[in-house]
Amino acid sequence: MTLKITVDPSSTPTLKLVGRLDTDTAPQLDAELNKVLARKGIKRLVFDLGGLDYLSSAGIRCFVRARKGLEPNGGTVAIVNPQPGVRKVLDIVKAIPAKGIFASVAELDEYLDAIQQQVRDQ
Amino acid sequence: MAVPIYAAAMYLSYRSAAQQLELGAERDADELASRLAAELDAVIRPIEGGIRTVAAQLEEIDPPREQYEARIRGVLAAWPDVYGSTIAVETGSAHPGSGPFAPYFFRRGGGVAFSDLALDSYSYRTLPWYRRAADGRGPVWSSPYFDAGGGETWMVTYSVPFYRRPADAPRALAGVVTADLDLNWVRAAVQNAALGPIGMGWLLSPPGEESFVAPIGATPARIAAFDSSITEQTFRAAGERMLASGVTFDLVRGATAEPVYLAVRGLETLEWRLMLAIPRAELLADARALLERQLLLGAVGLVLLIAAISFVAAGISRPIHALAESVDGAREGAFDFRLPEARRRDEVGVLTEALRRMRDSLQRHIELRAEDLAARERLEHELAIAASIQQSMLPHGAADAHPAGARVAAALLPAKQVGGDLYDYFERDSGLLFAIGDVSDKGIPAALFMASVSGLFKVLGSAGELPERLLARVNERLAASNDACMFATMGCGFLEVDTGLVRYASAGHDHPLLLELGGSIEPLQAENGPALAVETPAVYPLTERLIAPGDTLVLFTDGVTEAAAADGSLFGLERLIALLRDGAGLGAPDVLVRRIVEAVTTHAADFHATDDLTVLAVAFAPRGVTPSRSADGEQWLIEPGLSAAGCREARHWTRQILAARRVAAGRIDDVELITEELVTNVVRAASEAGGASQLSLTLALMPAEIVLTLRDNGVEFDPLARATPNLDLEIAERDVGGLGIHLVRELADECRYARIDDCNVLTIRLNRNVA
Repeated sequence: MTLKITVDPSSTPTLKLVGRLDTDTAPQLDAELNKVLARKGIKRLVFDLGGLDYLSSAGIRCFVRARKGLEPNGGTVAIVNPQPGVRKVLDIVKAIPAKGIFASVAELDEYLDAIQQQVRDQ
Repeated sequence: MAVPIYAAAMYLSYRSAAQQLELGAERDADELASRLAAELDAVIRPIEGGIRTVAAQLEEIDPPREQYEARIRGVLAAWPDVYGSTIAVETGSAHPGSGPFAPYFFRRGGGVAFSDLALDSYSYRTLPWYRRAADGRGPVWSSPYFDAGGGETWMVTYSVPFYRRPADAPRALAGVVTADLDLNWVRAAVQNAALGPIGMGWLLSPPGEESFVAPIGATPARIAAFDSSITEQTFRAAGERMLASGVTFDLVRGATAEPVYLAVRGLETLEWRLMLAIPRAELLADARALLERQLLLGAVGLVLLIAAISFVAAGISRPIHALAESVDGAREGAFDFRLPEARRRDEVGVLTEALRRMRDSLQRHIELRAEDLAARERLEHELAIAASIQQSMLPHGAADAHPAGARVAAALLPAKQVGGDLYDYFERDSGLLFAIGDVSDKGIPAALFMASVSGLFKVLGSAGELPERLLARVNERLAASNDACMFATMGCGFLEVDTGLVRYASAGHDHPLLLELGGSIEPLQAENGPALAVETPAVYPLTERLIAPGDTLVLFTDGVTEAAAADGSLFGLERLIALLRDGAGLGAPDVLVRRIVEAVTTHAADFHATDDLTVLAVAFAPRGVTPSRSADGEQWLIEPGLSAAGCREARHWTRQILAARRVAAGRIDDVELITEELVTNVVRAASEAGGASQLSLTLALMPAEIVLTLRDNGVEFDPLARATPNLDLEIAERDVGGLGIHLVRELADECRYARIDDCNVLTIRLNRNVA
């Protein structure tokens, strides 16, 4: 079992994970994260877990690393579309705050639109 | 048989001869009696008449007494047999003046002498000869008497009374005329009588104080010759009894030493009796002689007859004996026995000819049989070679029977020397390809077709085809040239030894049985395609089934299920399942196969008369996993290396095993996650000081529970003792360590740590079904 990572290189980078994220594949994701986090001015990082079948603590550490990299600079990490098994693991360890987890990309977009509206209103 | 019949005939003949002789003797007696009577009468009757005439004259005239002499002398002169005669006159009132007067003249010395009976001393009127005639008023004969004073001879007296009628007086006795008869002449007459060739005889006067007896003819001499103690008295009582009862001829026993025939006749003359005694032995001497002659002749005849029969019988039995001896040699199988050449025209000849024909056809038969036997031996020899070639087509040997990841065992027992069953297996592409097949029919055609199927399977199987395609291609090739209209069923499977996935397809073959580690048994469901070589193209649907290490697939041909016992009951699928269920031979296919073969051959009364029997067992035995059966379930011992690869291996088998047992996907994920977290921890610590050098993981599957037991030999460390991480802290303040253990605790229903035998033992329990 392997992990396939697709990176959407927009201003809001999205890492699409397909496969299994575990001890074996976490270094792969770490490598991609290093590249993404190296870029300046990234406010938001999205993990699309629609294709992720399995997640272990090694993978969760990747998400924690992403948060530690972005949040001190006001950035946020969001997780979209987790399968029930993965969602269960995420819920157990609370690696991502519940408000950062979205059932779908549309839900995330709605959330992001609302934030932008708040900023414009200020 | 002949002897009793002959004896009976002899006896009857003897009896008949004896009867004839008896009748003859009786007749002889009659004849002698009448002859003697006639002879006596010839003498006596004239005398009687003469005396009566004298008496009658004396009644007519009363001559003076001096004339009496002349009359008496006249009597003597007339009948020489009269010894003496008298005329005795009555005295008394009727004849006054007349004194006793009885002049008696008798013969003496050639002349005639006188004696006066009227002397005082001789009161004749009171004497019997006078009184009987006087009182009887008629002529009377006296009994014979011996005249001691006179003639010194046996006498008998005839007395005739005479009467007169004096004037004016009634008729009264006047006197008695007598004649004394000397019986010597009777004796002489009797003595001269011809007696006949045998026997003794007597003339007897009636029994009394004195009785006259005259032996007849040669009697005295015969008595002397026969038995000198015999007299007429010997038979007198028996003879008188016979006379009294009217029997004239009888066999008298007891009177003499030997039985004697007695013939008795009463003569009218003087009431005399004629008695003839004939010893039986003498009378029947002729009959006996006849009998003896006949016996002798019979015996000789019998001997001659037996000799003749023996001769004739020997003429038949000798050649038959000879034949029997000749034929007897055939008992030891020597059918070339010699038979007599001589052509006889009788039954023996017919028999000899029949035996000759039998011998010749037997010899021909034996020759044919010998040729037959030789041909059969050749065929047997060729069959033996064929059988060995056929066996060589099958995989052999225990060592190479265990390709990596699987253990295989098989048995093929052909019903005949060669058979139509086949099996095959070989390692290919990290897996094991295996197949079992059953060709229609038995014997050589089936064997040849089997060879063809087997060859195609090897070639096409090695080319990398998977079961469903492999069967389709084998079918194509077989159907293309199947003029003999043979067909075969075949089950074909491929076991991926990395995963336990079985791909299986069937061409009309019986479903294999899947024997799980825990003992449950189910058919490996496969939708059947058509038998091979029947139609083309044909589709063989694929069945996929994940099996766990320790599971065994049992493939078999109908020689197993259709093996019939003496009572006709088939071995059947139920017996096979029951046999597998007891768990012996689990994970050891060779034991399993042996037990099945034993059970089937024990069940089948005459195993080789039925069908080929083939069993193929494939057990899944990947390296690094040790399956075992526990009291309440199954368990697998996994021994991963202390490396990332080891960790992967542990997770892989955990997942595969649970998937094979159809545990829900989410629960499988949970168990895999727990495995990963725990094994990763041990592996990570292994490089550090005090880290483990050995790790084992046991996955146990109970009806309701999944139990993971992790055992390592590192320094004592209880991961559960670590405090639950504070998940509510800001991310920057959080320590990422302890997340794995936290996950484990959250996912598991129970976690326990123990230090056992210098090992850390962590036991994790989960409900088998997701809550």
